[in-house]
Amino acid sequence: MLTTNERERYDRQIIIQGFDQEGQEKLKRAKVVIAGGGGLGSPSSIYLAAAGVGKIRIVDHGSVELSNLNRQVLYWDEDIGKKKVASAIDKLKRLNPEIEIEAIDETITEANVSRLVAGFDLVVDAMDNLPTRYLLNKAAVDRNIPFFHGAVYGFEGRAMTIIPGKTACLECVYHGATIPQGKFPVIGVAPAIIGCIQATEVIKYIVGIGELLTDRLLIYDGLNLKFTELKVKKDPNCKHCGHLRREDRK
Amino acid sequence: MSIKIDIPSYMKSSTDNRGVVELNGSTVGECLNHLVKQFPRMKKQLFSKDGNLFENIIISINGESAYPEQLAKPVKDGDEIKIVLVVGGG
Repeated sequence: MLTTNERERYDRQIIIQGFDQEGQEKLKRAKVVIAGGGGLGSPSSIYLAAAGVGKIRIVDHGSVELSNLNRQVLYWDEDIGKKKVASAIDKLKRLNPEIEIEAIDETITEANVSRLVAGFDLVVDAMDNLPTRYLLNKAAVDRNIPFFHGAVYGFEGRAMTIIPGKTACLECVYHGATIPQGKFPVIGVAPAIIGCIQATEVIKYIVGIGELLTDRLLIYDGLNLKFTELKVKKDPNCKHCGHLRREDRK
Repeated sequence: MSIKIDIPSYMKSSTDNRGVVELNGSTVGECLNHLVKQFPRMKKQLFSKDGNLFENIIISINGESAYPEQLAKPVKDGDEIKIVLVVGGG
């Protein structure tokens, strides 16, 4: 049940056709992990908090640096030197005090990834590197948790929604491809757009409205302002999700 | 046979700033080899020293992934090849 205050706070989205109060109640019951509190985690957490997702867990081990501020809009100049998770909780609670926000100050590793996503309904991939994305993808697949991928480079971005066992996963698309680690170029508007697309997908999935970005990798090219798609298929030999397909066939 | 190759923004400096190149070929590999002949700087963008396509490149033919054996995939007149870069930043 929504409170009077919640009905007023979310009034403009409750009146969206197909959303209704029932959709808002689904959001209120939802528990979402946002893996990474940087350029992608900032917009996705802000909009998921504003939309009324009932419980948000942000995982990040970094501290705010001056060079983060061109894109990580959860943090302001006054936050430089603070732990990102502390600053994120502060901002998001001030935005929406009616939801539960939890911040975990840990680096995501193979050893802790399963624990970090356990008990949550959805995982948002807001990482800044591919190896951790693969860890999250596998953990999400293993636990049957929908996974919302996003990534950026310069003015470009990628996004895809993964429903374990049903649609292509990140490994099906990238096949373990690696790229050089380290400082990557990025303009803040690129993760803003991709992070908002991820949040859009999360909201749609929870509410049960619209068509998800599954089996297609969205390719955003900000320099030419083009959105294109790469159609992909679930790989029956995928190292992460291939076994689910075989089980499905039983 | 005319095949269009869509060049990513970050590689256009290697194609005289051309975003689309039209050329001939019956497979993705042939088309990319013709692209490299026309724009030699594309070789380092696409291929490792042993001649394999970099693993961070996905080839799309008419919007569909050409994986696996991307270079061997046949193409026909009017097809569009897109070079998609794997990105990982956030």
